[in-house]
Amino acid sequence: MANRYPEWTYSAALAALPLQTPLRLRRLITLDTPSHVWDMLQAGERPLVGINDAVWRAWHGVDASLLVSTAEACIDSSMTVVSMRDAPYPPSLLGDPSAPGVLFMIGDAGAFSNRRVGIIGTRHATQRGKYFAQLLGKQLSAVGVSVVSGLARGIDVESHVGALSLSSEEGSPPIAIVASGLDMVYPPEHERIWGEMGRRGLLISESPPGTAPEPHRFPMRNRILAALSEVLVVVESRATGGSMITVREAMKRDITVLAVPGAPGIAPCEGTNNLLRDGCGPVTDVTDVLVALGLDHRHMTDWCEGRPALQDDERQVMTALGRVPRSMDEISLDASLSVVNVAVILGRLEAKGWVANTHGWWEALVA
Amino acid sequence: MYAAIRSATLFGTRGTPITVEAHVGKGLPGFTVVGLPDEGCRESRDRVRAALLSSGFEWPLRRITINLAGGGERKGGAGMDLAIAVGLLVAEGIVPVDAAERCAFIAELGLDGSLRPTAGMAPLVDAVSQFEVVVAASAAAESMLARPSRLRPVTSLLELVEVLVDGTPWPNVAVPSAHVVVDAIADMADVRGQSSARLALEVAASGFHHMLMMGPPGAGKSMLARRLPGLLPRLTEDEAFTCAMVRSAAGMQVSSAIASSPPFRSPHHNISMAAMVGGGSGHIRPGELSLASNGVLFLDEMGEFPPTVLDSLRQPLEEGVVNISRAHSSVTMPARCLLVAATNPCPCGETSPLGCMCAIAIRQRYVRRFSGPLIDRFDIRIKLVKPSTAELTGGTAGESSVVIAERVARVHQLSIQRQGCLNSAIPADLLDEVAPLSRDAMSWLRDRLDEGRLSGRGYHRVRRVARTLADMNGAEIVVNTEWVEAAFGMRVPITPTIERH
Repeated sequence: MANRYPEWTYSAALAALPLQTPLRLRRLITLDTPSHVWDMLQAGERPLVGINDAVWRAWHGVDASLLVSTAEACIDSSMTVVSMRDAPYPPSLLGDPSAPGVLFMIGDAGAFSNRRVGIIGTRHATQRGKYFAQLLGKQLSAVGVSVVSGLARGIDVESHVGALSLSSEEGSPPIAIVASGLDMVYPPEHERIWGEMGRRGLLISESPPGTAPEPHRFPMRNRILAALSEVLVVVESRATGGSMITVREAMKRDITVLAVPGAPGIAPCEGTNNLLRDGCGPVTDVTDVLVALGLDHRHMTDWCEGRPALQDDERQVMTALGRVPRSMDEISLDASLSVVNVAVILGRLEAKGWVANTHGWWEALVA
Repeated sequence: MYAAIRSATLFGTRGTPITVEAHVGKGLPGFTVVGLPDEGCRESRDRVRAALLSSGFEWPLRRITINLAGGGERKGGAGMDLAIAVGLLVAEGIVPVDAAERCAFIAELGLDGSLRPTAGMAPLVDAVSQFEVVVAASAAAESMLARPSRLRPVTSLLELVEVLVDGTPWPNVAVPSAHVVVDAIADMADVRGQSSARLALEVAASGFHHMLMMGPPGAGKSMLARRLPGLLPRLTEDEAFTCAMVRSAAGMQVSSAIASSPPFRSPHHNISMAAMVGGGSGHIRPGELSLASNGVLFLDEMGEFPPTVLDSLRQPLEEGVVNISRAHSSVTMPARCLLVAATNPCPCGETSPLGCMCAIAIRQRYVRRFSGPLIDRFDIRIKLVKPSTAELTGGTAGESSVVIAERVARVHQLSIQRQGCLNSAIPADLLDEVAPLSRDAMSWLRDRLDEGRLSGRGYHRVRRVARTLADMNGAEIVVNTEWVEAAFGMRVPITPTIERH
């Protein structure tokens, strides 16, 4: 049979087969070239063992229209498709026991050759955690490290916002691993940065175009995220949750996991504090990450604070606020200022970007 | 053959004098009540008949017509029973006309001929207070709220007839005259910590600004709201009597000792629209809005109230009165109350700092139940958090209500002197005159408007609250930035913002 299509279209089509799983896909891809495997399936062959009849029936039932439609969807979103057999496939995934057989990518695959740090955390983060993630993303990007994250709400997206806040000349391209198909933006409010990621960074997924963000895909995505990171920084995490799955995946692979210390008794910091107790290295500064990467941090330019400087009374409130979420009443008690005064000063600090308020709790946005 | 007897019926919170005409004439024996009686009124027929027979009178076997004269409005209540009975006795020639003419009769009849109180005794008596008002002895205390010159409490129909026919003296029933007493209100000194909420409460009381509190369970929302009446000035005697009259009209038990504390009403969220604003089928009754007039209407768990009920509050709150219009009649009732509402920020009710994990969509859906125009009515919107243990146990007790109420009264006095109304009611076109902004304050507000963090309506409301804050702190006429910023800080947005990236 004459192969009229380029090889990548067969990789994409194999990934898009019904009842496909990462394991089955990897077995198909390692079997032979994607086009040969495809032809075998079209011919009704069963080249693998241990796959049940229902799956074979579904696989034998597809025709060339799947091939064409998947390829068209990829071209429409300017995705590139690489299988484990192709050159741009990230080397750090090659040796991985649960590596994805096929990756869909938008953007510059050169990012794989950068130093890579994963920054992850809870979706319901504190404002301070988000601020820290953003700062870390920006500072790492500035020294040429690619920030790897999942583009989820909370910590994930903030680290990418930080990395992308630098221009392409100043910062290195960040890498986002998402769970849905690359044409299915999730969560919808991240549409802008999703597009930005494809243009200036690298957006990757193991799911073919059109795949919905089903809940089970997120833990699977986390294994790729862990495998792609040289160092994994958990900024904030609850005691259980998606970040902890990523941490376990990273530990399985002997990847250094670092955690940002948080205030005790605050739910979004429980998981990270547990990690520290269990022996993970702490991150209080970008230097800690650079040291873990083995990079020279001594020549880093000093960080320049962009926000308007604090007045005396504002500094007094910032001191009283400290590093934990506090109510206005507590601040007023500790700063020995009247509530009206504290309210006014907090309002000013919020406008200047020094503090943020969530559900009545105030937090200082400092590292 | 014919008699005209004075009585009264209730329209909303006010009594109206009516004349009960009785005619006993030739024709087939029968008993009809005309003149737009409601269902309760029509039942009078059977009660009056039984009461007359029990008291030993003959029931005339002729055609009896009762007309409730006065206006084309529907008349309700059982308070006209006695007037109908007396009318029949006058028409039959048993009771002399001139004896009955001096009096007005307001009581429900028992089947045994005893007199009973009916709902709204005070406003009913008020409507006919220039006459000798005959009421049930058990209703005497409530009737005294209307301060009638000659109240004649009687226990039974027979007793009344003896007085009217034989000219025996009226029975001597000791009636305590109504008086205002200073009652206890929950004190702010019990509230530990919560300094920002205390401040908001004082501002609300000082300027009569409606207030919305958002916070998790246990943050003290209800506790604070219950103490708000204690911050408002005590009711004047007139106000206290008016409040008691409304309570009486609503059919509530009212004693002769009238509380001077501003009313505090906290209706449960299963309340119907009629119970909230007033109305009801047939007979129009005052609702919670009128009962809370001159005081505080507290809506706990505002999100659980039916949206239609909440939205029906909007116009009465703006105008200070509530109008109930029917095909036949229209009733105006007072509705000048301070609205305080409390709600959780989201369904989970998590109290630990940042412990809430509700998805943004769920939080949005939770607060979307409140219509924008209603939320706009709240000049003060604050977020409460559960106070820390240190706050609850340590430190000194807060200021007591008496101290705060003094300051509040001073602001009330100041604002009435300056603009003739409290600060929340300053008309928009008068704001530049009574609450001019300093240049800094003006440009600061303009920046917020430009940022879209302040709406046009919010702009005026922030200025009113700023006026109150400035008054509280003895600032001069110009409102400077500090107060505008603080007022803006007391107006937190309630809809969670989606962080778009």
